[in-house]
Amino acid sequence: MLAPKPMSRLLIVASRDQAVPIIQELYRENLFHIEEYVDQGREGYEGFKIGSPLEGATESSAELIKVRAIENIFAIRGEDIEAKQKLSLPQIRSQIERELPGIEKEVEELAGSRSKLDSKIKEHEQKITELAPFLEIPVDLALLRGFRHFSVLAGYVSRDVSISVPHEMEIVKNKERTFVLAIVPEKNRAEAERLLQDAQFQAVTVPEENGTASARTAYYNEQIATLKKEIEAINGKLAQIKDSHSGFLVACEEAFRANIEQAEAPLRFATTSKVFVAEGWVPADKAQGVSANLDRVTGGKVFVSELPVDPLHDAVPVEYNNPSFAKPAQMLMDIYSRPMYTEVDPTLMLAIVFPIFFGLILGDVGYGLLLLIMCFALGRVFKGDDAKEFLVVLRNASISSIIFGCLFSEFLGFELPWAPIIFSRHLNIGGTEVAGQGPQIAQLMVVAIWIGILHITLGRGLGMINHARQDHGSHRIKAVLANFGWIAVMWGIIIGIWSMFALPLMPDLSGLPVVAAGLSAGLIAAIVLVVMGVIFIARDSVLEIVELPTIISHVLSYARLVAVGLSSVAIAMVVNYMSIGMFIGPALKNFTILSVVLIIVGVLVFLLGHALNLALGMLGGGLHSIRLHYVEFFTKFYKGGGRKYIPFGMKRRFTED
Amino acid sequence: MADVNMTLEMVQASQTGMKAIGAGLAVGLTGVGTGVAEMGIGAAAVGAIAENKDFFGLGLLFTVIPETIVIFGLVIALLLLF
Repeated sequence: MLAPKPMSRLLIVASRDQAVPIIQELYRENLFHIEEYVDQGREGYEGFKIGSPLEGATESSAELIKVRAIENIFAIRGEDIEAKQKLSLPQIRSQIERELPGIEKEVEELAGSRSKLDSKIKEHEQKITELAPFLEIPVDLALLRGFRHFSVLAGYVSRDVSISVPHEMEIVKNKERTFVLAIVPEKNRAEAERLLQDAQFQAVTVPEENGTASARTAYYNEQIATLKKEIEAINGKLAQIKDSHSGFLVACEEAFRANIEQAEAPLRFATTSKVFVAEGWVPADKAQGVSANLDRVTGGKVFVSELPVDPLHDAVPVEYNNPSFAKPAQMLMDIYSRPMYTEVDPTLMLAIVFPIFFGLILGDVGYGLLLLIMCFALGRVFKGDDAKEFLVVLRNASISSIIFGCLFSEFLGFELPWAPIIFSRHLNIGGTEVAGQGPQIAQLMVVAIWIGILHITLGRGLGMINHARQDHGSHRIKAVLANFGWIAVMWGIIIGIWSMFALPLMPDLSGLPVVAAGLSAGLIAAIVLVVMGVIFIARDSVLEIVELPTIISHVLSYARLVAVGLSSVAIAMVVNYMSIGMFIGPALKNFTILSVVLIIVGVLVFLLGHALNLALGMLGGGLHSIRLHYVEFFTKFYKGGGRKYIPFGMKRRFTED
Repeated sequence: MADVNMTLEMVQASQTGMKAIGAGLAVGLTGVGTGVAEMGIGAAAVGAIAENKDFFGLGLLFTVIPETIVIFGLVIALLLLF
């Protein structure tokens, strides 16, 4: 908790003939994060080379490509398929040998003939477009070609045209343009063409067809219909194959991928002609088990040793170590950056505080319930791990929204049957007096500011811990004190404000007696704190002094918890006022036929308005809550940039060892 | 110059109106400010995300930093009105 999982660094040395059992065992355990060996003459690694893949890597790659091609044809994706039963490896091997070539052949053939049919349809459609201009001409197209002494001129013209040479002409006019088909003696051709050119003649070739254009078009349409039927039949067959084999195909993909990853593992090891050396990381509590297992599978022919770890300089891969309820919040952490190995991991705080902020902003039972329903509905559609984590985060946020909705006594902007338990956010919209004392904006603001003060103080406190852990020598003390300085300046300013003004929900120090030079005890304490803080900050880095105003802006920034929330309350109440106060209410009071229309409009306004407000509320609530963490909280202590822990192995979903 | 004929109610009503105008200006102008500031950041962030999707979190973060301006406007408006 609050820190990444402790890691151990393992060094595995064995002779090359033990490579296969060792790799298989490591892959099965899915714990060993391989530290890739780079051929750069590292000290102690003279004479080592990067290893070569195990046997069978090429074959597996080729097979994997084929399986993926079939999956592409079917648009199958492993994530979308629910694993029904796991196939064992020997089972799947025999099935691959037996069935895969047949399926591959069949699918390839079907896909090939489908694309052939597709291209035929394209050809026919092309012909139909070529025939289109001649549709109105009731002449066999065969009669329009093959003349020795006559020329056939066909094409579009922009206006009516007459030809002065002997000719026979057919003109088809439609809305946009005029089609001309003219037959002139060969010797007059040049003249006729010139005349036609004057009318912007665009030539059209006469299709090489026998029969009238309309008859040929009908024939091609018929052909296309039959071809489409054939394609449908092929699609049906493909769908059948997909239904019966999709489970097998994803299992194949998984099996081949596992094969390849294992076969290519030696590429990440340092090897000589006789031995190989693998370095990597495992969670500290698993190190013993891993080394014992390796001993077992090789019959003791392996040397496993735990290397010393220098947490500051080794790039230790980072794996979160959180209680299960906080796990989904890791997604929000990864969006920012994974913590470093030596850092405080704030995931737990994020998992607790984020829903609270969300609830404070979107505290409404109605919206909370809608979001909750949406979560469960989306959970049925999206099956991936990332989507699930996101939905759990949203679920927690919406539950918090319901709880705060009860406290604020809000349901889609209406009041619940009880008075607000904490401060009221009911605004005076549309002139209707609110029961009770009306909105308590000032108190809400102060609560938000309090949250900000505490959150930032916590952040700076964590900053002190982080610097104490990560820095060395005199810089360490300076950095820790600088963080303390920031806290001191902030509290100094706050105490100064308390001593000058009486604020609701805050201690009132303005009545303290004057001690010296016209300053009260509170003010003196404030000045001492601020001066001390500034000195501490400046000792670490003078440039940081320009950042001092951020103390005020960051604390005030927490006012958004109230401001964004109130704006969403205001929109909800305006929507209610518009739909009920302006449309539905008057319509019901004085019922006529027109009232039906008014009521429908009112209901539409209600639905659209609340849908919009829900979308805005979700976006605003989520974005502002996470932003308060990223910008105001994390900048105080969190650096991130940790390396992700990627164990060698896979979570098998469709196959098992 | 205050008109001598103005009653107390009129003065109060006009003050309420002025408050409303002030609140509107506070939200409106800060909104414009935020928009102008986010314009450049947002465009650059989208460009960066198109190059590398890992930048999404940081891009979003940078884009919403100027939101603070309009939030301050909103806070002022709320304090003015209530």
